[in-house]
Amino acid sequence: MTRRSLYIALAMLVLLSLGSTLLSLSGIWARWPVAAAVVVMALAWQKARIILGKYLGLVQAPGWQRGFDVALTGYCLLLLGLYLAPLGEIVRMILPRLRGL
Amino acid sequence: MTDQNALDELPGDLLMWVLIISELLVFGAGLIVFLSVRITDPAGFAEAQNSLDRTGAAINTIVLITSGFLAALAINLRRSGKRGGARVSLVGAAVLGGAFLWIKGLEFASKAASDIVWDTHPFFNFYFLLTGFHAAHVAAGVILLLLVAWRDHVDNIEDATAFWHMVDLIWVLLFPVVYLLQ
Repeated sequence: MTRRSLYIALAMLVLLSLGSTLLSLSGIWARWPVAAAVVVMALAWQKARIILGKYLGLVQAPGWQRGFDVALTGYCLLLLGLYLAPLGEIVRMILPRLRGL
Repeated sequence: MTDQNALDELPGDLLMWVLIISELLVFGAGLIVFLSVRITDPAGFAEAQNSLDRTGAAINTIVLITSGFLAALAINLRRSGKRGGARVSLVGAAVLGGAFLWIKGLEFASKAASDIVWDTHPFFNFYFLLTGFHAAHVAAGVILLLLVAWRDHVDNIEDATAFWHMVDLIWVLLFPVVYLLQ
């Protein structure tokens, strides 16, 4: 791993971390919670990929990197699904009432 | 390609990867259980989460990823024969690890001052368990980084920095789930 690519990885990680924190502190969450959650988890997924690839060196082992990518993507989607599950429950509660209008 | 070749492709020590995957599974399961329990009381979890200091946790994220960068830089410097530079980077990474623990300590102290303890709400069961267990790993990592700054064989540095990146990796997944997903 070259020193330049390490500096780029650090800059990317800092930018992605600032992005997710600013999103959390902004009012966006109150208006579009699903979109905000998707973006926050996508940023976390990308940060994890950078650490695995650049810092832990998986970029030198493409087969292993693909395997970790698949597992990480599935895991982040599972976390997102669990986060969104209560929203689905709220929709199920509201829908019959809307149909009755 | 044989299995032997596939394992040989992995950078660093195979046993360190076994440890990394084991730790990821433990913390990964913890986060899954956390979000599963949240389904039973999303409003209570949101209210409890609002008492957390998101800015402090974000600062800690920057501290930890910068520390991870210094650890990665250390192995790069050591491989190119710059032992002094590698040692400075390792000590720098350890100091930032110490800063992470100090900020985490302030966070826990503020919770204690607000009479928030582990059984105040199920959210705090997981909050203290997951972030406390992670902080214990940070403390172990700081000791490892200082040890390999002293005994600076390239294999030692590879193992200690791999452990440190694992700690970093766990935090980037734990931080959004515990602090940010509202």
